[in-house]
Amino acid sequence: ASVMAELLQPDSRMCNYFFLYDGSKVRGEADPTRDGICYFYPEETPLDKQELLCGQLAGVGRCVSELSSSPTRTLRLRRNKFAIRMKDDFFWALGCSVDVPTVSVSEFLDQLIDLFCFYNGPVRRSYQLNSQETLAARWARYLSHLQSGSSELSHIFSCLRTIDSTNVDPLLLLKAALILQACQRCPLVLAGCILFRGRVVSTQMSPGLTMKVMVHESETYTKAQRPNGTSASSSFSGTVSSTTVFLTTPELQDLQSAPVDKGFRCCPTTPQRDGPSKKTRLSRTLSDTPSTESQVSNPSSSQPPQKASLSPRLSDLDVFSPAPTHSAANSLNPSPQSLRPSLSNGEHSVEDEMEESRSRKSTGGRSQIHSEGDGSVFEEDSHLNGGEGEGAFGGVFDFQAVESGNEQPHDDKVVEEDSSVSCGSVSGHSAGKSDPPPLLPPPHRLSDASEENALIPMTLYMHRVKGLVLALLVEPHFMSDATSMEEVYHSSLASLNGLEAHLRTISPGAPGGPGPYTFAHFDCVQSTLTTNLSGRSGGAWDQPFVRATSLLHSHFCNTETLQEAIIRSASTAVYGTRSVAQETYFQQNGGSLRNSGIPNHQDSAFSLPSKARHRLLKHGVNLL
Amino acid sequence: MTTKTSLLKVILLGDGGVGKSSIMNRYVTNKFDAHLFHTIGVEFLNKDLEVDGHQVTLQIWDTAGQERFRSLRTPFYRGSDCCLLTFSVDDNQSFLNLGNWKKEFIYYADVKEPEKFPFVVLGNKVDVTERQVSTEEAQQWCKENGDYPYYETSAKDAINVAVAFEEAVRRVLAVDERTDHLIPTDTVKLHRKPRSTATCCS
Repeated sequence: ASVMAELLQPDSRMCNYFFLYDGSKVRGEADPTRDGICYFYPEETPLDKQELLCGQLAGVGRCVSELSSSPTRTLRLRRNKFAIRMKDDFFWALGCSVDVPTVSVSEFLDQLIDLFCFYNGPVRRSYQLNSQETLAARWARYLSHLQSGSSELSHIFSCLRTIDSTNVDPLLLLKAALILQACQRCPLVLAGCILFRGRVVSTQMSPGLTMKVMVHESETYTKAQRPNGTSASSSFSGTVSSTTVFLTTPELQDLQSAPVDKGFRCCPTTPQRDGPSKKTRLSRTLSDTPSTESQVSNPSSSQPPQKASLSPRLSDLDVFSPAPTHSAANSLNPSPQSLRPSLSNGEHSVEDEMEESRSRKSTGGRSQIHSEGDGSVFEEDSHLNGGEGEGAFGGVFDFQAVESGNEQPHDDKVVEEDSSVSCGSVSGHSAGKSDPPPLLPPPHRLSDASEENALIPMTLYMHRVKGLVLALLVEPHFMSDATSMEEVYHSSLASLNGLEAHLRTISPGAPGGPGPYTFAHFDCVQSTLTTNLSGRSGGAWDQPFVRATSLLHSHFCNTETLQEAIIRSASTAVYGTRSVAQETYFQQNGGSLRNSGIPNHQDSAFSLPSKARHRLLKHGVNLL
Repeated sequence: MTTKTSLLKVILLGDGGVGKSSIMNRYVTNKFDAHLFHTIGVEFLNKDLEVDGHQVTLQIWDTAGQERFRSLRTPFYRGSDCCLLTFSVDDNQSFLNLGNWKKEFIYYADVKEPEKFPFVVLGNKVDVTERQVSTEEAQQWCKENGDYPYYETSAKDAINVAVAFEEAVRRVLAVDERTDHLIPTDTVKLHRKPRSTATCCS
């Protein structure tokens, strides 16, 4: 009964161990294991311990994989749970505490590998082109980034860090979305996102891609040493930089299949006098996408139709609603009740193009915003190089549980498959497992040789205005196309200046103590978390909720048919509910839990679902 | 007199659609986009220029004209050195609203001595043939409301835009000079003539 009481103290750092092992370096009996260790974290781990762990885990991983004819996904070793990935001769393992949900550990590792490939290209090629030390620094940086400034909840859900929208006028989110759309008038711009102090304000990219882009943003913000290929453009007074990145084929196809009607894009050579381009509006996607065909023809869209109604907080539907002012008035209370009715009364109608944009898929991307209660992103993770774990490596390896990824198509394309899942929407949840990458042509899926080619070089362009960053994925020749660059730069500069001024002056809400209830709402589609839990506090009263949420999330991931659950201790109870698109967790604080030992109709835990439904409406969470 | 560069904040106010953003873009980037979206909240661009030997960086704040954006724009009125009240000569209502814009500015910018604050009035879109506001009407309003300089501009055809901003700078510098002299010498030039009170429609 008292599951929560048994839970251990949390560690602010999620990852205990991480390594990349190259089996091709250790072929013969005489080859020392250390030759195969490309990177090991924590770096100060004694080499013999590194060898022990790498050798044993790699061996067991291969063994299990061969016995089960499917890739090994997870290995458990004493108090550590290792997510495993194998590709070609490479072997990755990421070890976390056993308390962390398996799905979270797996996602963490996928993110880490994806990040590396995004900035460095294929792993084999990277190790041919760069020294081991250079790449070790990068692994360390990505690892640090993924763990920095996040709350425990955000680790559990592997969610995007977004700005706290509770105090942000929704019109400013619209402004951000319009800036991105204006940039897309240049045909060399694929998609973009706007970040403020390391948090997402608006994005047109998938959560997975947005997450990757944010790493470079935080690097340029902290002025860390730049990776190769980064260059600052002098002509734009040092505020513009770019770096080469690598997209997977599904990622690229997703971007290219976004309903950007190229026919309506302005030519980069904007004429002084508008001649034939008379009908072209600035917000191409708002006004110039007349039909809805393009939406339908986007099978890779990761947004299930119910998204809008399930995510009444600022989904892109809301952002592009024809009546932004009413939301301004209700920005602190964006409940569906207050939002919806004014959609139809038209008295605020901003403009016809906004009316048209109610077909939300025509917005050319996702705009997302959610609140998340944790603190600053820019804190150094002082634990990063902290001491080693719990001294679990006494030499006795105790494989208590071996989970094989039977749900994966069993070939050796683990990495690619995984990346497509995590870059898509549902990030590996059971609900989304059935989503194939639909646009991937069959040859690419089947031929192993094409995989290395499946990483396509693109350029990440960044324009910084103080704490605000405009990040755009652009065609590689964008940076050498002065006309296009100037066009994008000048068309967005004033708006970015203004947006930065607006966001800077927003005062953060008062950090509340424990309120009458605690909740966390995870939008699986946008990979965003809304919670009234202040992430920094780490307060004792938060812990039961966080641990219960972790457990419930695990259960939801493992049991596809599970929709609702209550987890309880002697003193409190946490209610969890989920659908394809969302997971919601709710805890009523204070008051005594009437708990007679045996469930009865007086048990206050049974009133949690209805309490959650009513309380969360004002947070824009609709459980009805 | 001085060689140091000073930052001057000028703010464009006026009804939605009169061309405030276009005026700013014409002046700073010398570009014109007929299909700009509504400005949401505020935006700004900087431009360095020299006026009468003074190096200044002009920070031009462009604002949203629509009423529903009021709460977003008004916090940024404070600290303005000059206010450009803008209307469109083909929209009489935008002209009639000038007084409201002036009031709103004085209130939110917390101007201590409104009668001394430098306003400049711009009648934009003179390229349009169907005018609803005559030059005389506009001049009359400027005369009666504080003897403000009046410029008829076209952001589209690049008419008078730069001249208007330069006049704004002169107005600010003139006010500064007055205040500078006030403190050490105790003398006040009450009737310091602005350099060009006349309209500049060409």
